[in-house]
This record gives sequence, structure tokens and C-alpha cells, in this order.
Amino acid sequence: MSKYNTEEKVSDYIDALNNEQKSEIIGTTDDQELEKLMATVRLVRTLREPALPEEGYPHRLAQAVSDKLKKEKQSSSNQSVKSAPKSIRRILPPMAALAASLLMLLLINWFGLFNQDVVYAMEKAVAQLSNYHGILEIRTKNAAGVEWLVRQVEIWSEDDKYAIKQDDGTVTVNNGQQKWQISQEKKEVVLLPLLPDPTGNSFDLRDEAKRAKQYPHTIVGSELVAGRQTTKLAISPPGGREYYLWVDTETNLPIQLQTAMQNALQTTYTFVSFEPNTEINPQRFAYQVPEGYQVVENNPGQLVATIEEAVAISGLNPLLPEQAPTRILAFEDGIVFDYGDTTIKETLPEGEFVLAPDASLGTAASGQLEVWQERLRWRQDGIEIQVEGVQRVELARQIAPDLALPNSNQDLVSKAQVKVSVDKEIVEADQKQVDRGSSPWQLDPLQVALVFVNLKVTPEGIQGEPVIPMSSFKLVENNSAEAVVEVANGPIERVYLKKLVRQDDTGIWSVVGYDPR
Amino acid sequence: MISADDYKKAKEGDLKAIENICVVTWEPLYRFIYYKVQNREEAEDITQETYVKTLTYLQKNNAPQKNFLGFMKTVSLNIIRDRWRRKKRAGVIVNFQEINPEETVNIDEQNDIAQRLFLKSALAKLSQEQQMILDLRIIKGYSVAETAKLVGKTEAAVRTAQHRALLALARILDDEG
Repeated sequence: MSKYNTEEKVSDYIDALNNEQKSEIIGTTDDQELEKLMATVRLVRTLREPALPEEGYPHRLAQAVSDKLKKEKQSSSNQSVKSAPKSIRRILPPMAALAASLLMLLLINWFGLFNQDVVYAMEKAVAQLSNYHGILEIRTKNAAGVEWLVRQVEIWSEDDKYAIKQDDGTVTVNNGQQKWQISQEKKEVVLLPLLPDPTGNSFDLRDEAKRAKQYPHTIVGSELVAGRQTTKLAISPPGGREYYLWVDTETNLPIQLQTAMQNALQTTYTFVSFEPNTEINPQRFAYQVPEGYQVVENNPGQLVATIEEAVAISGLNPLLPEQAPTRILAFEDGIVFDYGDTTIKETLPEGEFVLAPDASLGTAASGQLEVWQERLRWRQDGIEIQVEGVQRVELARQIAPDLALPNSNQDLVSKAQVKVSVDKEIVEADQKQVDRGSSPWQLDPLQVALVFVNLKVTPEGIQGEPVIPMSSFKLVENNSAEAVVEVANGPIERVYLKKLVRQDDTGIWSVVGYDPR
Repeated sequence: MISADDYKKAKEGDLKAIENICVVTWEPLYRFIYYKVQNREEAEDITQETYVKTLTYLQKNNAPQKNFLGFMKTVSLNIIRDRWRRKKRAGVIVNFQEINPEETVNIDEQNDIAQRLFLKSALAKLSQEQQMILDLRIIKGYSVAETAKLVGKTEAAVRTAQHRALLALARILDDEG
């Protein structure tokens, strides 16, 4: 075999592995040199992050394994199944995917005209909805595209009351006055704080219809969801990320919601069964302790009429916004002001103010303001304040008038003493790698700074625990486009980072400069 | 995280129980297999076969619940070895990093770590340019054309350089191994 051929063959072999083609495509060879080089390529390749399966893999895997076991059980009496299991990847033929995308493209163009009608009809249908009963399935997908079933819940909803039954039989009821949970397993009735109520933030039909109307939206297709024909809407909240809502064409009610990818997680809520305007037994929302059950009070908080009562219960002197809340709840260690779509929670601070690693930073009351998803959090006058919901900025400003949200146009990195040159093509390739689900640490400015600084200390690579540990790194600025990390020890005092490819939650951070110590 | 009930139901083919087990265990198992076979489709096939074989085994035996994942890794190694033997018989040479059937899964993992360190030190002995070319082509997965652009060489020069780098690396590994 000529030298030219060996070079070409090795190169083709690397390409085949890079394209995830089966390793035997090169075929048999008697060329010992080529064989050895191929083995060396495979060996080097073990240093690379593996290519992970396509989204929804665990579910498809479980389905394929279950089918296979059932089939084997059926045929075990007369014959043994010897053939290798079929790859579940082959269940979705590529032609079907192609046809689906073509159909989607047609629908996008066609449906654009009827955009308003769908949302109007949904608003009307939701306004006429007196109650509903349904089974909601909640699935989560991570940035690597792996999807799993979080849980399935049965819901009864009427006005501001709801009852939710979990997979394990636990029932949570909120009747507007009280909230409690009945655990069959423990034979307990646990009284819960009425607010904040996270179930209200997940998938409420009324809220979704309101948001769809309020926010810019477009129809992006038509899909079959849980056996129902639906219209798929893309909704773009101002300043937020696009998410999707599927509206049943028969009832005009929303039956599926998919959140935007937040913190590398995306959640899909689907009503796998749904009965609107049905009959719900009022007893379902009545507080009753079943016989033989014990009542547990878990700091449930109390609805109070005045601030004075709240102060007496919580021992906290709260900072008050101008706008009066709809309800006030007092706990042993805090107070919650409820505005319907937004809550303000004030508590006594515990320990240092630690920021969520992927939060952006603003300022409030001359200190740090954590901006994370729909939540603002800061400390003021010895109180920790957390405002969550759609009116968060307006209400937070009523408490801290100097509140400043991160300004992504603000220049943070130009003051770096040493500039680090970045190869744009490599950064773009890294971004693509992260988009495919590999190396998600590049989305965290602290992790990127940690790798950069430790590679300066040990250029041969980080083996085991890094020399300069994570506890030495502190995020001091982050406007979601540029960030500054301070390092307590080592040769570098400050690291300057920038999102070079895109400036949203999915953009990777690159080191663009540093200050030597 | 996996209940005894899940194991019991899973071996009967109960989808929910299997899903509970898969959600917790698929990723470390898949990574382990991918490390050996370096191909996604093959890793997916072997992962699936591993679950089927493990659960079939559980129909007659008790689950090694303490180290269920370790047990599955051993099952997967056996599958890889069987496939390797089949391919060898069919005349296709696929060397899955010199699989030794006598190894237990734990020793195998230790070997993997030692091999990684050994490989890194061997790579560090190559010239900067050779390291960069292997990094771009094999670890980062760039095409010859992309690599040529990144290092400012012609495509033919990249192929020659990568060939030389691999020869040099194989020699270092031979000498030190």
C-alpha cells in the first residue's frame, strides 16, 4: 500500500469516526501500519466527550427494552430469540422526519394568516371555562436533548380552587383559603403555606390564554398532541425567551406548553386527557381530615388583614411597596405580599448573599441584585427580598428605587490589563458543541474562569482537583453579555469574559482578558 | 433511587419501572460503552442489549441492587466481547482497546483511567503542531478542510502532518507501553 493511500485512509477513517459512522467501514486490512494507526486514532478519540444519543433517548430505550422483554416472554415457550435487538434509532426513519419538516414549512406559511383568530378563540373558550378535570404529564429535557418523565398529575380546577393528585396518591388541595396535602402513605394531612404557590406558575389555562394574547405570537404549525389536533403557537414575551403553546382545534383550549430552555432544562406540560366544563364534586375542595390521619402544621403561614398582624407573627419589620397587595401572609420567619401574578417575599437573611451561578447581576439598595429567570433577589436594611412574577420590576422599584437591571451594553471587559486573543472559528465550533449538549460548563462564567486560571498554573492539564479551587472564584459582574470573575489567589487576580457568539442563556463564555496579580 | 419494586416490575417488562431504571442508569452505562466502541449507533445498540440481557437475567436471579450499574457494565463488556469475536470470525478487524475477557469491570475502569493518563503524557511528547492537529481533527472533530484553514496549511499538508503525528504517537506508546 502506498504512503499516499495510507494517509488518505487514515484521514477517511478519522472522518468516519467524526461522522459517527460504524468503525468497520474501512473494512479489513492486512496493512499492519494502517491497523496500528487506526487503533491509535481510536485511542486518542477516548479523550473526547462521547456523542450522546438524540433527545428522548431514555424513554425510547425503556420502550424498546420493554417491547423486547414482552416479545421474548411470549416466544420463549417455543423458540428462543437469538437475533440482536434492533436499534431504537431505526424506529424513526429519516424520511418521516423529512416529510414532517416539509409539512411544517407549508403550515408556517399557510397559518400565518389566521394567527389572531386562534388566540381570540382561545381567549373566548377560556373565558367560558368554568372548570376542568384532566391528567397533566410533565416531561423535562436537558440541553443534551435527553428527555424524561418527571411526573403525571391529575388536576381538578374550578375558579381559584384546585386539587392535584400525584403519581404516588398524594393529593394537594388549595381552596383559596387553605392549602393542604394528604399523604396516603404516611396517613398525614400537612397544612402548607398558601403562598407562594408554585403550581400556579406551571401551566394554568387562564394564565396561558392571557399571556398568548398579551405577548407577540405567531402560529408555527399544526400537530397532533395526545390524540388531539392542535395549532402550535410560538409566544415571545418581551425580554424573555420564546416558548410554545399548543391549542386544541376542537375546544380552542391550550393543551400543551413547552417552556424555553432555562438553565439547560426545558419542560413540556401536556394534558394527556382533558375534560372542560365538567361536573366536579365540591367535596374535592373541602378541607376534611380522613379518619385515622394525623394533622401536621408545617409553618403554613396565616392570611392576615393588616401589616401589624404580619409584623407580630413574623417578628420582621418589612419594607413596604406603595401598591397594596391583594393578600398578606405571615410566617414565623417572613412575610409574603401577594399581587396575584407576582409575589414579594421578605425574610431574615441567612449567611452570606450567595448568587445563583448563572444569574445576571444588577444593583439594588447599593448592593448586588440577582436576576434569575422571573425572579429578582437582593438584600436591603437587614432583610432579604425576593420578587417573583410578571410585575417584578415595578414592584421591586417601589421598595428599592435605585434598582438597576443588568445593562448588556455596558462595557466590562475593556479594562483588562492583558488581552487574550480568541479564535472566532474555534469559539463558534465550541458553541456548536455546547448546543449539541457537550461541555455545558462553558455556559457558566465561573467554570470557564476556573479552567482558564488553572491551565495557566498547570499548562499540562488539570488532573484531579484543580490547584486553585472553585471557592477562590467569585463572580463580581455579569450583565449577561460580559462578566468579571475575581480570583482570591494564584497568578491571576481578575478574569474578563464575554459571550462572543450569542448573548442569551445558551451563549458560551470565553475569556477575553485578565489582570495579573 | 431505584426501588425494589422497580426491579420486580421491570423484569416483567413494565414500561414505567424500566423507565425509572433507565433514567438513573443509562448515561453512565452509555458513556462506558461509547468509550469502548467510539460509535454512537453501536453504543446505543449495546446499551439496549445490555438492559434486555440484564433484565432477562433478573427473571431467574436476584438483582445485585448494591452495584446494579457495575453489574450492567460487566454485562455490556461481555456483549462487546461477543460482538468483537463475531466480527473477528467474519474477518472484520475491530480492536476494542485490547479487550481482555479476564478483567473485571472495576479493573477495567482503573485501566481506563491509567490509559488516559498514559495517553496524555504520550501526546505531550509530540510537537506543538502535531498536538494541535490531532486535537483539532480527532478530539474537536474538525474536517481536513476546516483544520487546514485553522492552522494555515494545505489539506494535503494536514493529512501528512496527521499521519506523521499518529505514527510518532504510536511509536511513543509502543516504546513506553
